[in-house]
Amino acid sequence: MIDERTLTILTESAKYDVSCSSSGSDRRNEGGIGNGYASGCCHSFTPDGRCISLLKILLSNDCIYNCKYCLNRRDNDLPRATATADDICGLVMDFYKRNYIEGLFLSSAVHISPNHTMEQLCLVVKKLREEYGFHGYIHVKGIPRADMEIVNRTALFADRMSFNIELPSESSLKLLAPQKDKESLLLPMAKLQREKAVFRAEKRKGHFLPAGQTTQMIVGASPEKDGSILRLSQGLYRKNGLKRVYYSSYVPVLHDALLPEVAGGALREHRLYQADWLLRFYGFDAEELLPPDEDLSLEFDPKCAWALSHMEHFPVEVNRAPLEMLLRVPGIGARSAQRICAARRYTRLTFEHLKKMRVVLKRAKHFITASGKFYGAAENAIRGLLSAQEAHANATQLDLFSMNETALSALTGEL
Amino acid sequence: MIYFYDGTKEAFLTALVLSFRDSDPFLTSGNKQLVLGQETAFVRTDQDKAKKVEERLLSFDKDCMHDLDTILRSGDVGKDNVALAYFRLLAEKKCPVRMMLGEDAVLAADECIHRVGFEIHRFHGFVRFLGTASGALYAPISPDNDICDLLVPHFRARMPKIPFVIHDVKRKKAAVYDGENTFLAPLDEAEVVLAADETAWQRLWRKYYDSVNIPSRERLKQMRGYMPVRYWKFMPEKRPFHDAEGDEDAPVLPS
Repeated sequence: MIDERTLTILTESAKYDVSCSSSGSDRRNEGGIGNGYASGCCHSFTPDGRCISLLKILLSNDCIYNCKYCLNRRDNDLPRATATADDICGLVMDFYKRNYIEGLFLSSAVHISPNHTMEQLCLVVKKLREEYGFHGYIHVKGIPRADMEIVNRTALFADRMSFNIELPSESSLKLLAPQKDKESLLLPMAKLQREKAVFRAEKRKGHFLPAGQTTQMIVGASPEKDGSILRLSQGLYRKNGLKRVYYSSYVPVLHDALLPEVAGGALREHRLYQADWLLRFYGFDAEELLPPDEDLSLEFDPKCAWALSHMEHFPVEVNRAPLEMLLRVPGIGARSAQRICAARRYTRLTFEHLKKMRVVLKRAKHFITASGKFYGAAENAIRGLLSAQEAHANATQLDLFSMNETALSALTGEL
Repeated sequence: MIYFYDGTKEAFLTALVLSFRDSDPFLTSGNKQLVLGQETAFVRTDQDKAKKVEERLLSFDKDCMHDLDTILRSGDVGKDNVALAYFRLLAEKKCPVRMMLGEDAVLAADECIHRVGFEIHRFHGFVRFLGTASGALYAPISPDNDICDLLVPHFRARMPKIPFVIHDVKRKKAAVYDGENTFLAPLDEAEVVLAADETAWQRLWRKYYDSVNIPSRERLKQMRGYMPVRYWKFMPEKRPFHDAEGDEDAPVLPS
């Protein structure tokens, strides 16, 4: 059994990685313990509001790199630990059996060399699959600059792999993570994608990353605008076939002249995720949402902002509008849009119906008509009405030293 | 008229037939405050009638019995009437009504079914097994809806070689998987002898839970929204670190 100190150190070092999902794999149980759960499953939630789905742990936090933003960088005075393969495997098996976790998220600091680290990660997952008979979900972090042969070998045992982009542009990478470059991060992603396609085409036995690849980047540690970040994500989804891009708003855990001292706003991160969803599930293009040198509006959610600047498309009639258009109405989500499409086959929908179907009308009512009726405000008043609601929702009791956005707007007299 | 029935599928189908011509039926499997002069009927299950009406309903909608089973498992007090209205509509329309979301009866049934299904999904994550001395796993739960046997297939597929018991403490029954078969049994209180290392694993899990949290980004409301407090009772990670006896290593057991 792994000792508490090692577990604590290795978890503390892994927790800033935001990837959490356990979805997308349909791996079956083949005589051991565990299987995939295609929709994913959250097992617990921590006080920071994040879910625990996978056992998120580093194999070692002893790093040879010195990335400025990273807690585990070489210069940082931090207790170091390295776990053995059996420690990790035993932990996964017993946690999984008790239904604490859905699987393993294994990452590592670059220990000794990239190849050595990747080899160690590969050994752990191989052991877990073959010796311990574990068929649950495994997410392995790819180590930049590791040999592709080892990465591909690891992919045979993992459900998902991810290479972190870390920062949204090459110049920031150079500044803050000088040992990594764009090539070492993007190239393995493309190679893995190609390898997966070959694996599928040749109908080889076994699995090769059934849940695909993801990546994550830190937002707010470097000066990139949301517009360029979203274009980058869009490229990753469409060209590299990634399943998810995670954004993590910068948390200042270290001090460095090159890093900002304040945390990136949670609201900005939230807006990025909203826009990300629009790219993946609502048929939007990044180009439609905003120009590359602009940030997303904090005042309105991205869909609302888009609709407000495209009032020529609205209002739409819910009984007639195609699904793609319903999806573009602020406040109507994928589920509501589908339910509207199903329900209107049987009856002419009115606002009363929509309300009972729990379609959120707070924003939507300004952009739709139901059976010809319109309950929204005049076009020039909508912007003001919606932003007033937003401001109210974000209002918090201030104290003398609070430094959030609302406090700032109070100082500038904007509030 | 008020119809009392025993909550089973067959009795429900009998009641559906009996009350069909009634313009304002009220169906309940629980207690109901009666108003003076109110007519009441106690539904006695008629197997033949139930079978006939089931076949007829299935000819309208082949999945409707699954809906019925789900609604009757709901912990909601109004579930009987929700099911009644839904099946009266089905009988009237003679075709699947599931997507007729303009109808109040369908919306109510849809919401009820959604809630039960969602709780099952949640419990796939929130069930916490305890290792016992015999090697079997034991999980006490107290869900809102009667779902303990519906949780079994999920865990059985994952751990086909480990016998386990999922004990609904509130409804005093347990779903048991003995390594081969699954069955449902009434169970008031379980006597559980914990495995020697159970406490140590729980401790490790709590350590993990505490260390993976980022304290500077505290969002308690969000946590409670995703994982309501009523589910915390049997989760080692949500138990206060020191319990009543001051024994911080005490394992979690149903009270």
